[in-house]
Amino acid sequence: MNMPKNNPREGGAWHGDLPVTSRYSFGLAGERFYRAIKDEGKLFGTRCDKCKRTYVPASLFCERCMHELDTWIDVGISGEVHTFTLLYEDLDGNRKKTPEIIAFIRFGDGGLVHRLDEIDKDEVAIGMRVEAVFKAKAEREGSIQDISHFRPID
Amino acid sequence: MTEKISEFPGTPLSEKDFEQKKTLFNLDELNGKFAWDTGVAIGRYLDALKDGVILGVHCSTCEKTVVPPRTVCEWCFQPMDEFIPLQDTGTVNTFSLCYVTWDVKRIKEPEIPAVIEIDGASPLHGIMHMLDEVEPEEVHIGMRVKAVWKPPEEREGSITDILYFKPFEEDQ
Repeated sequence: MNMPKNNPREGGAWHGDLPVTSRYSFGLAGERFYRAIKDEGKLFGTRCDKCKRTYVPASLFCERCMHELDTWIDVGISGEVHTFTLLYEDLDGNRKKTPEIIAFIRFGDGGLVHRLDEIDKDEVAIGMRVEAVFKAKAEREGSIQDISHFRPID
Repeated sequence: MTEKISEFPGTPLSEKDFEQKKTLFNLDELNGKFAWDTGVAIGRYLDALKDGVILGVHCSTCEKTVVPPRTVCEWCFQPMDEFIPLQDTGTVNTFSLCYVTWDVKRIKEPEIPAVIEIDGASPLHGIMHMLDEVEPEEVHIGMRVKAVWKPPEEREGSITDILYFKPFEEDQ
């Protein structure tokens, strides 16, 4: 006897639809950090006096001494370009004529990755001062995108 | 719960907290659609489940009957010879008390996944399924169990056409 023939009644395929939905809540410190952006248009960090560090974005624990942090500091909305890159491709890999400028902007002992705008790409420099431009309050939803971009301070 | 812990620590978030936007969160919805070709052996196995039958497959060279079915014998690498309907009873080979659901929610009453050696298959051959209608502390290796099926009209050719296995007495 040989291998059984395929059964014509078989469906042939198992169809699935994995519920790949993720909801990432920001945690205790993240919640407060993004609430401040949404409601007040402010950026907060947390301070560890022992290690003399200010964490931005705000962190619940000092990553050096593991101590819980409860000193919240308004770090203002202006920071310094620590490093940057010019993106000539969009998310789908299409070539862009005008580059998007992505920078790491230093606040305290940390910082944020965000885009720079209202500036010519040739004028971007490490060390330049930039400030956050927030979306209109009604449009903010508690996300880093509530900051539309950073722009140079004159 | 245990003697030491009466409630879980921390601040759990409920569905309501997300719905009413009491907590901020980032939402991602990936496309998780897939179609998996069941092939000859598993295709027929799933089809048989619809009819309330657990199907095995027999190799006459090795005198082995295995479940779930496969087209090639894994000992002699020859094509399998014939499909054989097995019993829907079996013996617990191993089990676990599981206090988290598949989507990682903590539960107080455990789910009991088990490997069940199916009657009619060669010794030590069986399938993984759930146990129910049994107290967690009464489950033991060697326990005799029987499949509880969905009503025929609700079956769809899936392993979940068997709802779970429950203990049964031989003489019933």
